[in-house]
Amino acid sequence: MNLKFAGVAVAALLAGSAASAQDVIGYITKSATNAGWMMINQGAADAAAAEGVNLVSVGPAFQGDLSSQLEVFENLVAQGAAAIAIAPVDSAGIAPAVNDAMGAGIPVIAIDTGVAGAEVTSFVATDNYAVAKVQGAVAATQIEDGQPIIYVTGNQAQSTGQERKNGFMEAFSAARPNSEILLVPTEWNSQEAQEGVEAILNSRQDIVMVANAWDGGTMGAKAALENLGFSAGDVKLVGFDGAGDAIAAMDEGWVHVDTAQMLYQMGYQGIKAAAAAARGEDVSPRIDTGFFLVTPSTSGVYKAMVGIE
Amino acid sequence: MTDVPESQASHSFQDRIVLGLVKFFKAEWSGAFLAILILGIAIELASSGRPFFHPSNLMTILNNSAAIGIVAGGMTLVIITAGIDLSVGSVMGMTAALTGYVASFWGFPPYLAIMTGLGIGLAIGAFNGSLVAYFGMPAFIVTLAGLSIWRGTGHLSTGAQASPKLPETFDYFGRYNPFAGLRDAYKEGTLTGGWERFGAFVDDNWINFFRTFQMSMLIFIGFFILLTIIIANTRYGRWVYAIGSNEPGARQAGINTPRYTLITYMFCSFSAALGALLFLGRAPYAKSDYGQMWELDAIAAVVIGGTSLFGGRGSLWGTFMGVILLKLINNGLTLAQLDTFWQMVVTGLIILVAVGLDIVRQSGNPESVRKLLGAIAAVMAFLALMTPGAIFLRAKIAVLEHNASVDLREAGTQLAAGQNARLLSPDEITQFEAAASSNLLAMLLLLALLIAACFVVLQTNRVISFVLAATFIAMIVPLIMMGYQITVPFLVLGAAALLGSAFVHALFAKARTLDVNAA
Repeated sequence: MNLKFAGVAVAALLAGSAASAQDVIGYITKSATNAGWMMINQGAADAAAAEGVNLVSVGPAFQGDLSSQLEVFENLVAQGAAAIAIAPVDSAGIAPAVNDAMGAGIPVIAIDTGVAGAEVTSFVATDNYAVAKVQGAVAATQIEDGQPIIYVTGNQAQSTGQERKNGFMEAFSAARPNSEILLVPTEWNSQEAQEGVEAILNSRQDIVMVANAWDGGTMGAKAALENLGFSAGDVKLVGFDGAGDAIAAMDEGWVHVDTAQMLYQMGYQGIKAAAAAARGEDVSPRIDTGFFLVTPSTSGVYKAMVGIE
Repeated sequence: MTDVPESQASHSFQDRIVLGLVKFFKAEWSGAFLAILILGIAIELASSGRPFFHPSNLMTILNNSAAIGIVAGGMTLVIITAGIDLSVGSVMGMTAALTGYVASFWGFPPYLAIMTGLGIGLAIGAFNGSLVAYFGMPAFIVTLAGLSIWRGTGHLSTGAQASPKLPETFDYFGRYNPFAGLRDAYKEGTLTGGWERFGAFVDDNWINFFRTFQMSMLIFIGFFILLTIIIANTRYGRWVYAIGSNEPGARQAGINTPRYTLITYMFCSFSAALGALLFLGRAPYAKSDYGQMWELDAIAAVVIGGTSLFGGRGSLWGTFMGVILLKLINNGLTLAQLDTFWQMVVTGLIILVAVGLDIVRQSGNPESVRKLLGAIAAVMAFLALMTPGAIFLRAKIAVLEHNASVDLREAGTQLAAGQNARLLSPDEITQFEAAASSNLLAMLLLLALLIAACFVVLQTNRVISFVLAATFIAMIVPLIMMGYQITVPFLVLGAAALLGSAFVHALFAKARTLDVNAA
């Protein structure tokens, strides 16, 4: 499978070098099938078109596969990409490869997830920790102190999952110190979210809210509620990502708060920065793409902004 | 001839227990069943206040086992023929995505969409099976290629986009509750007489029982009953085993082995497609990334259930238990709120223990069983040891890390935020030192117990087992006085395992004489 992606990268590079040698920008994404990542990838593609660069997009065989990302990364370096934008599946694991590329003079832009232990040209992302604190604080206002809730975590071996969980837990516990938080651990898999939420809701009748580290979890939690015969609003859902299906569920009364990352912007700004760095221009080392707090009253504004009809 | 019933009738109560044990352990599913039972009790103890052995929770586990269970059912037959199918997860994902896709975007009526999904499953099975049976390609390679091909095809054909919410017909494969209509009618007050009383009963016990009585579970159980009947009573069933245990021999005996191999692969992919339908019945939407790593879960369930990866031997009910064990681990560890990373470690350990139990069971050797019980006692001593031991080690390691971090910093290494956290304040250092020294005595006591328990595994003297069991019990008093009440269950279980190990040989000897009589 690694071979397949490597092959794609080589073929695309060859095609690219025929057109204009220095304008090839490698873009290594984290997932080609996750709804949120598809928005980021769209932003990246649009930025490449606007900047007039040749974007070589490659993804891992499955979400979280570090070895195929490393291989693709090294292939892009060897083929002489002018800049590389990467969303690392493992912030520490990718560091040696990033160091090599930066040492060879190839600018590296980290998108969404930072690189631990190596310098990058620029880090383009929402501050997950800060946004999760907002998510936790707003979620707290939806319930009384002492009412227990469920939190569906992301992968706790990745910085994104850790920051979202820590931010949420800190802000929520500060506002509702007596509320118990039951955890459902997942590796960004909505099936795990659904089964875990179903197990806990089934044994505890007092849960009033399910907060989620990403919107795949929100949809899994919603399915769990439907499987147990709950109606919209019986147990409040809190999302993270502002994915289209979660916003639709908000309109139906299931989801009460969602903190949307500007996913499209993340891809767009990331590739724009990569193109600028490839031309030798200065790029800010930290580009914060911001977030949007979506509630039933602001969902109309949000939908208009990101183009959900 | 008339002797036989008489001798059976004259069996004492004790004899009947022995015979019952022999019969139980001869069943291929007993290893997995035992693992489920032990784990269930452990979780029940660990998750106080969150009921685990509760009908509605057990039914939730069955509901969530249904989709992967049916996939594993098909896999069982393939593995019994000494084959393997690594593509089931991808086939499940692709049929789930395409079924949802044609149902929502092509406007297919639900029944036609369902037929499409099942048809795709059969077609893929025919493709895999033909390559394996008629072209002689290794099943591992064919289905490994399939793992990639069908996942990619699923993503390509649906653009990897989630479908809208599926029509309600799909609920009949999953979340549909046969009692929901009755309860609604009762609430509206349209029932009369006996039905009304029944409706009231359902409504009263809704949360405790009926809420999770759903189609997933019923289809899951029905599927296994039906498949067991087919395998036990048809020529096809016998030939699956024959092909797995000796393929050339089966061919010489006149069995059309390629045809039955093909049928088995078709059935396996069909099960994957049926599993996809069951999954859709509970999922929020249809999407092509469903079923990732299911091939590994399915194979794990089959092997935990006592089926041999080399073919020729195995049982469907073992797989049934294996699937439940896997889902029970997830459910139970979530209810017990065990730390995420520990969940990963514990899941792997439980699988090892389940398969280990099965190997000892198959050996039918009293010495292995005795060693196993001795090992259980040693593990219990280890768990008891870790109560003070974990505190001691953590304190020692924290101080060690602090010193190393200080050295690193003095050497001029820059430490990141997460790495700086290893530095301690002087107060913390004294606290850790105190914790280490106050736990030292209990730790040494229990360490001695652990070493003694390890020794028992190696010797066969019954008296030593008794003495050690008594020592386990005697330890309880000083440990409670030192404040380690939590070690009591471990020590009691350890003592019980040791007592049991002393009687294993006698039990086997007794069973042998009884078995001869019964036969």
